[in-house]
Amino acid sequence: MSVLGFAILAGLILAGALVVVLSENIVHAAVALAFTFFFIAGLYVLLGSPLLAVIQFAVNAAAIPILTLFIIMTTQSRRVRPAAGVFYLVAGVLAVVFLAGLWAYLGAPQEAFRPLSPEGLGARLLTVTLLPFEVASVLLLLAMVGAVVLARRREA
Amino acid sequence: MITLGHFLALSAVLFAIGLFGVITRRNLIAVLMSVEILLNAAAIAFAATAAYKDPVFFSGQLFALFIMVVAAAELSIGFAILLNVFRHTGSAATDVVEEMRG
Repeated sequence: MSVLGFAILAGLILAGALVVVLSENIVHAAVALAFTFFFIAGLYVLLGSPLLAVIQFAVNAAAIPILTLFIIMTTQSRRVRPAAGVFYLVAGVLAVVFLAGLWAYLGAPQEAFRPLSPEGLGARLLTVTLLPFEVASVLLLLAMVGAVVLARRREA
Repeated sequence: MITLGHFLALSAVLFAIGLFGVITRRNLIAVLMSVEILLNAAAIAFAATAAYKDPVFFSGQLFALFIMVVAAAELSIGFAILLNVFRHTGSAATDVVEEMRG
Protein backbone atom coordinates (compact mmCIF):
# COMPACT_ATOMS: atom_id res chain seq x y z
CA MET A 1 0.00 0.00 0.00
CA SER A 2 1.52 3.26 -1.03
CA VAL A 3 2.19 5.94 1.51
CA LEU A 4 1.92 8.57 -1.19
CA GLY A 5 -1.57 7.47 -2.20
CA PHE A 6 -2.74 7.55 1.39
CA ALA A 7 -1.21 11.00 1.96
CA ILE A 8 -2.87 12.44 -1.16
CA LEU A 9 -6.25 10.92 -0.29
CA ALA A 10 -6.05 12.07 3.31
CA GLY A 11 -5.13 15.59 2.26
CA LEU A 12 -8.01 15.77 -0.22
CA ILE A 13 -10.49 14.34 2.31
CA LEU A 14 -9.49 16.83 5.00
CA ALA A 15 -9.50 19.75 2.57
CA GLY A 16 -12.98 18.77 1.34
CA ALA A 17 -14.28 18.42 4.88
CA LEU A 18 -12.90 21.84 5.80
CA VAL A 19 -14.69 23.39 2.82
CA VAL A 20 -17.92 21.67 3.91
CA VAL A 21 -17.59 23.06 7.42
CA LEU A 22 -16.28 26.56 6.64
CA SER A 23 -17.69 27.61 3.26
CA GLU A 24 -20.32 30.33 3.44
CA ASN A 25 -21.84 29.26 0.14
CA ILE A 26 -23.84 26.16 0.98
CA VAL A 27 -23.85 24.89 -2.61
CA HIS A 28 -20.05 24.83 -2.51
CA ALA A 29 -20.30 22.92 0.77
CA ALA A 30 -22.59 20.27 -0.77
CA VAL A 31 -20.30 19.76 -3.78
CA ALA A 32 -17.28 19.55 -1.47
CA LEU A 33 -19.18 16.93 0.54
CA ALA A 34 -19.59 14.84 -2.61
CA PHE A 35 -15.86 15.04 -3.33
CA THR A 36 -14.97 14.21 0.28
CA PHE A 37 -17.11 11.07 0.17
CA PHE A 38 -15.64 10.15 -3.21
CA PHE A 39 -12.12 10.27 -1.78
CA ILE A 40 -13.26 8.27 1.25
CA ALA A 41 -14.33 5.59 -1.24
CA GLY A 42 -10.72 5.63 -2.47
CA LEU A 43 -9.65 5.10 1.12
CA TYR A 44 -11.81 1.97 1.28
CA VAL A 45 -10.05 0.68 -1.84
CA LEU A 46 -6.73 1.20 -0.03
CA LEU A 47 -8.18 -0.77 2.89
CA GLY A 48 -8.84 -3.71 0.61
CA SER A 49 -12.63 -3.65 0.55
CA PRO A 50 -13.89 -2.78 -2.94
CA LEU A 51 -17.48 -3.57 -1.88
CA LEU A 52 -17.49 -0.81 0.72
CA ALA A 53 -15.89 1.53 -1.83
CA VAL A 54 -18.61 0.89 -4.40
CA ILE A 55 -21.41 1.34 -1.85
CA GLN A 56 -19.74 4.49 -0.51
CA PHE A 57 -19.55 5.84 -4.04
CA ALA A 58 -23.14 5.00 -4.96
CA VAL A 59 -24.83 6.06 -1.73
CA ASN A 60 -22.69 8.67 -0.03
CA ALA A 61 -20.85 10.25 -2.94
CA ALA A 62 -23.74 10.29 -5.42
CA ALA A 63 -27.17 10.01 -3.83
CA ILE A 64 -26.72 12.05 -0.66
CA PRO A 65 -25.18 15.18 -2.27
CA ILE A 66 -27.92 15.15 -4.92
CA LEU A 67 -30.59 14.97 -2.21
CA THR A 68 -28.79 17.73 -0.32
CA LEU A 69 -28.69 19.95 -3.40
CA PHE A 70 -32.42 19.34 -3.99
CA ILE A 71 -33.17 20.46 -0.45
CA ILE A 72 -30.88 23.49 -0.81
CA MET A 73 -32.68 24.54 -3.98
CA THR A 74 -36.10 23.90 -2.42
CA THR A 75 -35.43 25.96 0.66
CA GLN A 76 -33.54 28.66 -1.29
CA SER A 77 -30.83 28.90 1.34
CA ARG A 78 -27.75 29.59 -0.73
CA ARG A 79 -25.77 31.45 1.87
CA VAL A 80 -25.15 30.75 5.51
CA ARG A 81 -24.94 33.53 8.00
CA PRO A 82 -21.78 33.10 10.05
CA ALA A 83 -22.33 32.06 13.64
CA ALA A 84 -21.41 34.21 16.60
CA GLY A 85 -17.74 34.23 17.51
CA VAL A 86 -18.32 32.46 20.80
CA PHE A 87 -19.61 29.44 18.89
CA TYR A 88 -16.38 29.28 16.92
CA LEU A 89 -14.42 29.51 20.15
CA VAL A 90 -16.41 26.73 21.86
CA ALA A 91 -16.30 24.52 18.77
CA GLY A 92 -12.58 25.05 18.27
CA VAL A 93 -11.78 24.25 21.90
CA LEU A 94 -14.02 21.15 21.84
CA ALA A 95 -12.51 19.88 18.60
CA VAL A 96 -8.94 20.41 19.82
CA VAL A 97 -9.65 18.72 23.18
CA PHE A 98 -11.29 15.78 21.44
CA LEU A 99 -8.41 15.51 18.99
CA ALA A 100 -5.78 15.68 21.73
CA GLY A 101 -7.55 12.98 23.72
CA LEU A 102 -7.82 10.69 20.74
CA TRP A 103 -4.25 11.39 19.69
CA ALA A 104 -2.96 10.48 23.12
CA TYR A 105 -4.94 7.25 22.94
CA LEU A 106 -3.67 6.23 19.50
CA GLY A 107 -0.93 3.68 19.35
CA ALA A 108 0.83 2.72 16.14
CA PRO A 109 0.23 -1.00 15.53
CA GLN A 110 2.38 -2.39 12.77
CA GLU A 111 0.43 -5.33 11.36
CA ALA A 112 -0.22 -5.73 7.69
CA PHE A 113 -3.57 -7.01 6.48
CA ARG A 114 -4.97 -9.09 3.69
CA PRO A 115 -8.09 -7.96 1.90
CA LEU A 116 -11.38 -9.80 2.20
CA SER A 117 -13.21 -10.58 -1.02
CA PRO A 118 -16.63 -9.05 -1.63
CA GLU A 119 -17.97 -12.62 -1.76
CA GLY A 120 -16.74 -13.27 1.77
CA LEU A 121 -18.19 -10.00 3.02
CA GLY A 122 -21.54 -10.74 1.40
CA ALA A 123 -21.64 -14.26 2.80
CA ARG A 124 -20.95 -12.95 6.28
CA LEU A 125 -23.55 -10.25 5.82
CA LEU A 126 -26.23 -12.84 5.10
CA THR A 127 -25.24 -15.39 7.73
CA VAL A 128 -23.67 -13.90 10.86
CA THR A 129 -25.31 -10.47 10.66
CA LEU A 130 -28.60 -11.64 9.17
CA LEU A 131 -30.69 -10.11 11.96
CA PRO A 132 -29.08 -6.64 11.75
CA PHE A 133 -29.42 -6.89 7.98
CA GLU A 134 -33.18 -7.45 8.23
CA VAL A 135 -33.50 -4.77 10.89
CA ALA A 136 -31.65 -2.38 8.56
CA SER A 137 -34.11 -3.14 5.75
CA VAL A 138 -37.05 -2.44 8.06
CA LEU A 139 -35.31 0.76 9.18
CA LEU A 140 -34.90 1.89 5.58
CA LEU A 141 -38.56 1.13 4.85
CA LEU A 142 -39.63 3.08 7.94
CA ALA A 143 -37.39 5.99 6.96
CA MET A 144 -38.84 6.02 3.46
CA VAL A 145 -42.47 5.94 4.60
CA GLY A 146 -41.73 8.38 7.41
CA ALA A 147 -40.06 10.84 5.06
CA VAL A 148 -42.99 10.69 2.64
CA VAL A 149 -45.52 11.21 5.45
CA LEU A 150 -43.52 14.04 7.04
CA ALA A 151 -42.78 15.90 3.82
CA ARG A 152 -46.12 15.67 2.04
CA ARG A 153 -48.24 18.76 1.72
CA ARG A 154 -51.23 18.73 3.99
CA GLU A 155 -54.49 19.87 2.51
CA ALA A 156 -55.61 22.89 4.44
CA MET B 1 4.20 1.59 5.35
CA ILE B 2 0.77 2.71 6.45
CA THR B 3 -0.30 1.61 9.88
CA LEU B 4 -3.64 1.49 11.60
CA GLY B 5 -2.59 4.64 13.44
CA HIS B 6 -2.59 6.62 10.20
CA PHE B 7 -6.18 5.67 9.44
CA LEU B 8 -7.33 6.30 12.99
CA ALA B 9 -5.59 9.69 13.03
CA LEU B 10 -7.33 10.63 9.76
CA SER B 11 -10.63 9.48 11.22
CA ALA B 12 -10.03 11.51 14.39
CA VAL B 13 -9.21 14.70 12.47
CA LEU B 14 -12.24 14.20 10.24
CA PHE B 15 -14.44 13.69 13.31
CA ALA B 16 -13.06 16.86 14.88
CA ILE B 17 -13.82 18.83 11.70
CA GLY B 18 -17.36 17.46 11.65
CA LEU B 19 -17.84 18.30 15.32
CA PHE B 20 -16.68 21.84 14.63
CA GLY B 21 -19.20 22.10 11.81
CA VAL B 22 -22.12 20.77 13.88
CA ILE B 23 -21.48 23.43 16.52
CA THR B 24 -20.71 26.44 14.33
CA ARG B 25 -23.19 26.00 11.48
CA ARG B 26 -26.43 27.90 11.72
CA ASN B 27 -28.22 26.35 8.78
CA LEU B 28 -29.95 23.00 9.35
CA ILE B 29 -28.78 21.65 5.98
CA ALA B 30 -25.18 22.46 6.84
CA VAL B 31 -25.58 20.84 10.25
CA LEU B 32 -26.88 17.65 8.60
CA MET B 33 -23.90 17.66 6.21
CA SER B 34 -21.54 17.95 9.18
CA VAL B 35 -23.30 15.00 10.82
CA GLU B 36 -22.64 13.04 7.63
CA ILE B 37 -18.93 13.81 8.04
CA LEU B 38 -19.08 12.55 11.64
CA LEU B 39 -20.70 9.28 10.57
CA ASN B 40 -18.17 8.75 7.78
CA ALA B 41 -15.28 9.37 10.16
CA ALA B 42 -16.68 6.62 12.39
CA ALA B 43 -17.10 4.31 9.39
CA ILE B 44 -13.45 4.84 8.39
CA ALA B 45 -12.34 3.93 11.91
CA PHE B 46 -14.48 0.77 11.86
CA ALA B 47 -13.30 -0.36 8.42
CA ALA B 48 -9.62 0.33 9.17
CA THR B 49 -9.73 -1.47 12.51
CA ALA B 50 -11.41 -4.43 10.83
CA ALA B 51 -8.77 -4.55 8.10
CA TYR B 52 -5.86 -4.56 10.56
CA LYS B 53 -7.15 -6.28 13.68
CA ASP B 54 -9.77 -8.73 12.45
CA PRO B 55 -8.28 -10.29 9.29
CA VAL B 56 -10.57 -13.30 9.36
CA PHE B 57 -14.09 -11.99 9.83
CA PHE B 58 -13.91 -8.27 8.97
CA SER B 59 -16.84 -7.53 11.26
CA GLY B 60 -15.95 -3.84 11.33
CA GLN B 61 -16.56 -3.51 7.62
CA LEU B 62 -20.07 -4.81 8.15
CA PHE B 63 -20.41 -2.14 10.84
CA ALA B 64 -19.31 0.46 8.28
CA LEU B 65 -21.99 -0.87 5.93
CA PHE B 66 -24.68 -0.49 8.60
CA ILE B 67 -23.40 3.00 9.40
CA MET B 68 -24.09 3.94 5.77
CA VAL B 69 -27.63 2.51 6.04
CA VAL B 70 -28.34 4.46 9.22
CA ALA B 71 -26.79 7.61 7.72
CA ALA B 72 -29.09 7.41 4.70
CA ALA B 73 -32.16 6.87 6.88
CA GLU B 74 -31.15 9.69 9.23
CA LEU B 75 -30.58 12.08 6.34
CA SER B 76 -33.92 11.39 4.65
CA ILE B 77 -35.88 11.86 7.89
CA GLY B 78 -33.79 14.92 8.75
CA PHE B 79 -34.54 16.53 5.39
CA ALA B 80 -38.26 15.73 5.71
CA ILE B 81 -38.36 17.44 9.11
CA LEU B 82 -36.34 20.33 7.64
CA LEU B 83 -38.89 20.74 4.86
CA ASN B 84 -41.64 20.97 7.48
CA VAL B 85 -39.64 23.54 9.44
CA PHE B 86 -39.10 25.51 6.25
CA ARG B 87 -42.80 25.49 5.37
CA HIS B 88 -43.71 26.48 8.89
CA THR B 89 -41.17 29.25 9.47
CA GLY B 90 -39.91 30.15 6.00
CA SER B 91 -36.32 29.63 7.01
CA ALA B 92 -33.84 26.79 7.49
CA ALA B 93 -31.76 28.44 10.19
CA THR B 94 -31.21 26.64 13.45
CA ASP B 95 -32.42 29.48 15.66
CA VAL B 96 -35.95 29.52 14.21
CA VAL B 97 -36.58 26.11 15.77
CA GLU B 98 -37.51 27.09 19.26
CA GLU B 99 -40.59 25.11 20.14
CA MET B 100 -41.54 21.47 19.89
CA ARG B 101 -45.12 21.80 18.76
CA GLY B 102 -46.13 23.46 15.55
